[in-house]
Amino acid sequence: MSGGPLLRVRGVHRRFGTGPTAVHALRDVSFDVAAGTMVALVGRSGSGKTTLLNVVGGLDRPDEGTVVIDGTDVTALDEDGLSRLRRAGVAYVFQTFGLIPVLSAAENVGAPLRLTRVPARERERRVALLLELVGLAEHARQRPGELSGGQQQRVAIARALAASPRLLIADEPTGQLDHETGMSVMALLRGVVESEGVTALVSTHDAVMMALADRVIRISDGRIEGPAGERVGAAC
Amino acid sequence: MRGLGWWRARRRWRPPVPHWPSIRGRARADTGPLVLAAAVVAAVSLLAGAAPPLLRAAADDAVRDAVRRAGGDADVLARGNWEPDDGPTGGRVRAPRLAEDLDDLRARAVNELDPALRAALRPPVALVTSDILKVTDGSVLRTFQLAYFADDRGPGSGPHVTWIAGGPPRAAVPDAAAPAPYDGPPWPVQVGLSEADAEALRLRPGDRIPVQDARRTVKDVRVSGIFRATDDADPAWRLAPWLLHPVVGADGVGSTRLAGLLSPDSLPDARLAFDDGQFRRTVRFAPEPGALTWESGRAVGAAVVALKAASGSSGALDTSLRWETRIDAVLRDVRVRVDAASAQASVLLIAIVAAGVLILLLAADLLVHRRVPALVAARQRGATLPDVGVELLLESAAVALPAAVAGLVVARAVTPGAAWGWALPIVVAAAVAGPAFGVLAAARATRDWRVPANRTPRRRARHTGQLRRATAEAGVVIAAVAALVALHQRGILPAVAGDPAADQAGGVRLQASAPTLGVLAGALVLLRLLPFGTRLTLRRSLRSRRPLAVFGAARAAATAARVLPPLVMLVATALACFALTLDSTARQGLVDGAWRAVGADARLDVAPAGVPATAALARRVAAAPGVRQAVPAQLTDGVRIAAAATDVAPRLVIVDAAEYRRLLAATPLPDAPQLDRLTATADGDLPALVRSHDGSLRPGMRLELLRTGAPPVHLAAVGTAPAVGGAVDVVLVDAAAATAAGVLPAFNTVWVTGPGAARAAAENGAAARVVLRPDVLRASRAAPLTAGLLRLALVSAVALLALGLLGLALGAAATAPERWQTLARLRTLGLRPRDARWVAAGELLPAVALAAAAGPALGLLLAHLTLGPLALRLLTGQATDPAPVPPWWHLGLLPVALLAAVAVVVPVESRLRRGRRPGEVLRAGEGLPDAVLGRRSLP
Repeated sequence: MSGGPLLRVRGVHRRFGTGPTAVHALRDVSFDVAAGTMVALVGRSGSGKTTLLNVVGGLDRPDEGTVVIDGTDVTALDEDGLSRLRRAGVAYVFQTFGLIPVLSAAENVGAPLRLTRVPARERERRVALLLELVGLAEHARQRPGELSGGQQQRVAIARALAASPRLLIADEPTGQLDHETGMSVMALLRGVVESEGVTALVSTHDAVMMALADRVIRISDGRIEGPAGERVGAAC
Repeated sequence: MRGLGWWRARRRWRPPVPHWPSIRGRARADTGPLVLAAAVVAAVSLLAGAAPPLLRAAADDAVRDAVRRAGGDADVLARGNWEPDDGPTGGRVRAPRLAEDLDDLRARAVNELDPALRAALRPPVALVTSDILKVTDGSVLRTFQLAYFADDRGPGSGPHVTWIAGGPPRAAVPDAAAPAPYDGPPWPVQVGLSEADAEALRLRPGDRIPVQDARRTVKDVRVSGIFRATDDADPAWRLAPWLLHPVVGADGVGSTRLAGLLSPDSLPDARLAFDDGQFRRTVRFAPEPGALTWESGRAVGAAVVALKAASGSSGALDTSLRWETRIDAVLRDVRVRVDAASAQASVLLIAIVAAGVLILLLAADLLVHRRVPALVAARQRGATLPDVGVELLLESAAVALPAAVAGLVVARAVTPGAAWGWALPIVVAAAVAGPAFGVLAAARATRDWRVPANRTPRRRARHTGQLRRATAEAGVVIAAVAALVALHQRGILPAVAGDPAADQAGGVRLQASAPTLGVLAGALVLLRLLPFGTRLTLRRSLRSRRPLAVFGAARAAATAARVLPPLVMLVATALACFALTLDSTARQGLVDGAWRAVGADARLDVAPAGVPATAALARRVAAAPGVRQAVPAQLTDGVRIAAAATDVAPRLVIVDAAEYRRLLAATPLPDAPQLDRLTATADGDLPALVRSHDGSLRPGMRLELLRTGAPPVHLAAVGTAPAVGGAVDVVLVDAAAATAAGVLPAFNTVWVTGPGAARAAAENGAAARVVLRPDVLRASRAAPLTAGLLRLALVSAVALLALGLLGLALGAAATAPERWQTLARLRTLGLRPRDARWVAAGELLPAVALAAAAGPALGLLLAHLTLGPLALRLLTGQATDPAPVPPWWHLGLLPVALLAAVAVVVPVESRLRRGRRPGEVLRAGEGLPDAVLGRRSLP
């Protein structure tokens, strides 16, 4: 299931503001994530989970430290480099789904493929496959407003997988869902990690969700609790 | 049941309590939008507050200008019969103090004047004139009149003269109170002649003037001396210019009038020389234009009407005063023009105020959008909706009122006054919109019930919202249709010209609001189509291979349901187009009006003395370089024409019909092919073209041209005459045909066309008044009402365009957070930053493109529908209401400005957000969704 580290985070600091009012969101964060694993990032609100995910995904830049994804130093990339990385290497799933409301589920899923100019026929085939994977093949033509929260998050996951990323970053993907729906979404994530061979870094503070992860990284006050890379969770 | 619930609700109710720290905090946090709203209120208040006083000042100037131009027509005349001069033993008795009696009459006339009227008039001149006598020397038709002047300095106080031969008229008999038998010989009377008149009559002091009255009774009028006026320009001579020189046409076509000046000594003799009805005394008051204003003009008009109503009958034999004047008609005409200008200005002001209100609604929407989290927090802290409303009202009032006051104070400083009435809607919108939207948003965000989960209730809720919007839109459309119908049926002018009640009650406001309501209704209908358009674009772009087109179209489709931002742009652009078209139409109308007024590139109005040489003058002018045509004509106003059962007094035009037709063909003046009919005779009658404002002169009629001392000339109306100058009634005949019919033309006008017309006219026009079309056009443009309206139209167009651009910026700002959150999410999919700008532009473009394309079209449509009834002809001097003249180049700038604004807004917005990383945007964006903000429900 796991190979070498796909993600290597070393000595990452992130500070917001300056002077005495500065907030240290991340302090000397270092850890590795092996390829093909699902890692849960847990911690209380304000502990730095989202900041860490943003830094890892290149949505934010650290003040210090490096983030290497599959051999690419994300912190050294310019905007175009980050855009290329996001098109193929890293995908995101957000708590608020982030779907385009006027596009159907299939069109939302196909959006990343449009950016990479995948031919229409191949795009449609890939979209159909992914919707089948997340169990929404029958809802392909429905718009986000016509889907339930869980279905919308499934569409978001399908969209994230569309460009076959190596790293999937999910920030509280079950935050707006009830427990049962959240469990099914987490199970879906678990399933795609295994079936697609993607590496997933998922932030959550639901203990039950953690049980589905290969590994759990706890973060508190911007620091990783325990030795970096220590396996504190159990694989399914 | 109601009682208990009501009682509980009443017990729960408490007066709203504003939370001052919240008010201060929100004001500090949103200083920018609040300052923007204040700036809009101040600017629109300044414009709306300054325009009416400026218009009123222009109206004052227009009243003075009209009275000045009316000349003698605006004089107020008091006529009174003489005291009987019958002697106790039969016959008449010479009245030696007749000049003093005339002073008494003048004093009586002054006393009868209303104080308001007296204040507007100059000191009176008493004038005595005889009947028109015929000179019987056997040459051309000449007439003669005896006249006497006296101003308020007493007897003999007329204009100064120098006697160059003989002396002033003396009493004809040594006995001051000599009797005159009824059937005695003609009573002798002495008069003075001017040099010109004496030369024309070939008389010297001591000679008898061969004259007789209409009953062929010979009069014994002798020349006492020959005088030269000390000052030809003395206004008193204006009353009887024939005293200075012969005047052609004063007594009808082909006649020349001359006159003799009486003195206080010869006045009693003149009285005895004529019967009572042949020798009249008049007190003449010339108006003082500088003393007149729009307000005093109303009072003067009313006083004149009252004076005329109380005036004695012309048939009465007593010495009561009979009042005559046309100043009331002059004032009525100017009031009509002022009313037209006021209504046209109202059209523009309503447009500005409406656009200003829409901008303020949009600003309030933006402000509320930013404040929802704070409002929700306030509600969660326990603030009731009335508390929130009062807090927001206090804040918006604190912004709107000082801003409006500042705008009005500036208006007061730069204009003669400031009208607050027009600023009121702006202040109300600024003060109320924010609180209303804020309370609605707070209520939606914190109400107990949420959006239903089931589809049917959700659909029902959606339909309810759509029904509300459709109802509001239907209301606007109905109002627009009503305003347009009222405008076309009633016109733009109030039923009673200058009616102050109509002015105060906004009597024509419905009609004046027709263009704005029409634009508003049209814009609402067009915005109904916008979502269909964006969805169509999205469908097409989904089939394309360009991802940016898909994302841009998707964003545009997502925001197409928002009405207010595109509505502001569309309405402002359409109204700016309307204002520009109004300006352009009025300017072109002034050009046409100048052509109509002058009749050519230049016109020579030949002085009476030069009339015999007019034909030669025309030939000289025609030979000058750069002159294409020089057409001589006789223009005589107020000729007497017997038509059917009535007499009319049109302008008689005698001109070579073929030459005149060529002249019309060479100018933008309407061609008159019926001129060809004038050369053929019609059953021996003189063929004529006729034109009248009331149908009293119609083709097919047989008319008679009445002449003093000569038989009438029979005319056959064979067609419609072209408009000649400003005359509304015209009779036009061919010069050769007129000569053949015994009407000898006395050409007093030369129309000149060609690039060298002005120069040729100036070089050859020593004996004529030169009227140049460019000068007339310049004067028309500078006329108070016209200049004011043109300035207001341009200012309105600029202000409306600025409001439209501001609407674009505000609309972009209102949707920016959502747009950049979406773009940040798209960036997580791999969208490059520079591509994000194209997507943002793609979102903004559909609404802007709609405003850019449909705005001018809508403005032009409304111009076509409403410019006719706006009565622009009253300002431009055209014969008919002008057709709209679209200023295509300027209209082309409107879309360019809007599209350029998008090209500016997107990079600026992108630059402002460049510092924020996608992570920050995504965090910040996880606030309240649109459903909570109620965006779709807001207008």
